[in-house]
Amino acid sequence: MQNFIPSPTTLVALAKIGLLIGGLMTAAAYLVLVERWMAAWVQDRKGPNRVGIPLTKIRLFGLGQPLADGLKIILKEDFTPRHVDKVLYTAAPLVLLAASLAIFAAIPFGSSLPPIPALGLTGEEPLLVAPGLDVGVLWVFALSSIAVYGVLLGGWASNNKYGFLGGLRSSAQLVAYEIPLGLGLLGVVLAAGSLKLDAIMNAQASTGIWYAFAQPLGFVVFLIASFAEAARLPFDLPEAEQELVGGYHTEYSGIKLLLFLVSEFLHMVTAAFLIVIMFLGGWHLWGVTGSGPVETWTVALIRFAVLSAKIFGVILFFMLVRWSWPRFRFDQLMNLAWKVMLPLGLANLVTVAAVEEFRPQLVAALGEGGARAAAVAIPWGVFLLGWIAAGVLTPSGTDNTPIRTPEPLDAEHGLGRRRDLVQA
Amino acid sequence: MIASLLPSISPGTLLAGGVTATAASLWMLLPRGRSGRAERSSRWLGGLLGLAALAAFIALGRRLGSVGEDTIFLVVALVAVVSGAATVVSRSPVYAAIWFAMALAGVSGVLLVLGGQFLGVATIVVYAGAILVMFLFVLMLAQPAGLAPYDRVSNEPLLAAVAGAVLLGILSLSIGRLAADPASCCAVPATKAALLATDPGAGPNGPGTVDLLAADHVARLGGELFGRHLLAVEVAGVLLLVALVGSIAIVSRGAADDEATDSRRATP
Repeated sequence: MQNFIPSPTTLVALAKIGLLIGGLMTAAAYLVLVERWMAAWVQDRKGPNRVGIPLTKIRLFGLGQPLADGLKIILKEDFTPRHVDKVLYTAAPLVLLAASLAIFAAIPFGSSLPPIPALGLTGEEPLLVAPGLDVGVLWVFALSSIAVYGVLLGGWASNNKYGFLGGLRSSAQLVAYEIPLGLGLLGVVLAAGSLKLDAIMNAQASTGIWYAFAQPLGFVVFLIASFAEAARLPFDLPEAEQELVGGYHTEYSGIKLLLFLVSEFLHMVTAAFLIVIMFLGGWHLWGVTGSGPVETWTVALIRFAVLSAKIFGVILFFMLVRWSWPRFRFDQLMNLAWKVMLPLGLANLVTVAAVEEFRPQLVAALGEGGARAAAVAIPWGVFLLGWIAAGVLTPSGTDNTPIRTPEPLDAEHGLGRRRDLVQA
Repeated sequence: MIASLLPSISPGTLLAGGVTATAASLWMLLPRGRSGRAERSSRWLGGLLGLAALAAFIALGRRLGSVGEDTIFLVVALVAVVSGAATVVSRSPVYAAIWFAMALAGVSGVLLVLGGQFLGVATIVVYAGAILVMFLFVLMLAQPAGLAPYDRVSNEPLLAAVAGAVLLGILSLSIGRLAADPASCCAVPATKAALLATDPGAGPNGPGTVDLLAADHVARLGGELFGRHLLAVEVAGVLLLVALVGSIAIVSRGAADDEATDSRRATP
């Protein structure tokens, strides 16, 4: 047997995992509070502002609210209905939470730390749990496809019609929007030439052109698809409690429901991370962060702060959208995925591939700067064309009249299409 | 471990014992539609025999030097093997599908430990994330009222168990032979060795080996796929496209037929 003293690399990895999970869980709790404040602001009322330090009159702007909420839902009775499939009913929220936490193994949460000789770290230490993983984007994609299991199993194990239909509804949505999500990812991977998320950020930092500017169509497709994957409004059909009696977690309560809700919130945080890392330059900000290797702690901290601020901004955008848009109907949701997002994603991918393929010719014809400008201008042209085409060609799915007009029931046509039923 | 308690048994005996125990345990574990008590005791016995078979195979692997001390490898490999067996012997199709997903996760873990990162993650994306979800959809929609009797009983449990165990034995035997005689299995052909020797990505074991954990793992794999194996990739792509077009044609023809009959009925 080997000795049981872990190596510095193991220790650093464990420290990163601890930081990440602790940070994510705290952030999830406090983001709920931010979301409620945002709701209050949009609806012109006062949000939660009372809970402060217990047994005193100090309110602290309601900062105690997440703790009180968490305590309440953890101490609630963990009720398991008798008609459920117990094993899968318990496993479903765990699968969902494990998958949404494991995604962060491949997601960088900063640039990197300068060398720390005291700990035996001679190189730059990347702020990423699994820096050796060469398939970062695929890892994220794989684990977000595992999340479907939690939803599907939760719905099925509940042994309840509404729960089961909710599970089918949400898993159909997740599966459908994985395709435009993947197409948006592919464009960035093609341009950056790597599946590593930190390499993608470095590529944007070195040119100074964020992929949101170089691939506007891909950005829009990815943004919309990640809203759908995170099941946020206007895509929150998985839990449409007002009109569809909740969804896959109708039968859940207490801590298990909390696990489902936390995982959904983590999906939004993941989506914000990915949007920032892949399209908004990650830790890069012109003139502030530089783009070279990290040598001092100041640079490391500035980059961490820039990345965090961007992510927080995207999350605020998610929340603002939630309180500004109505929910889609299911057929509108599917039409959007298959008839609008998929062709637009393909158009983006073809454009990016063409630009990357003919970049040497562009450089030869227009010079370095001209080629760079053309590589931004061509995708914007395609973006405008795609926007117009989507507006003109796609059927508007907003009218609520029935799609088939009912058959006339007059005497001349007998009972219309019902006649064969009568004869039979 | 039990594996270290069995130093005196020869590999051949271990293999024979392992294969026999596997066959017997699978036969006992497979659902055969008996009454509750007999089924339960048979399952217990089958589980114990399965553990014995696992121990025999681990001991065999140790003896042949193909199972190391790597704890993570052992864990993921055990997950894969046990979930694979559970897939076969589950009585509920939904549970079988879930166990299959676990087996895929185990296999993907083994691939990750061995350095095949792309293959490991692609296993999850393609099988667990796409194909198996479709299976689950069908299984869950097919029998909402409970299991049909034919889903609770396995056909030909004896033949199936014996065939599986024999296949396992033959594979282990051939792998054991190859491990005992490394010259025939792991030598690189001369031209390939020359190519690899000039390769900047040659592995830590000197020229002729490839560093699977190289930093540009996926880029090298992609270069290989779209360089030397371009034709195969393109053929597979065309095949998938044909399947896609075909399925859309079938579906839309069905819809057209419906509409045709509808309009015929509507106009007298």
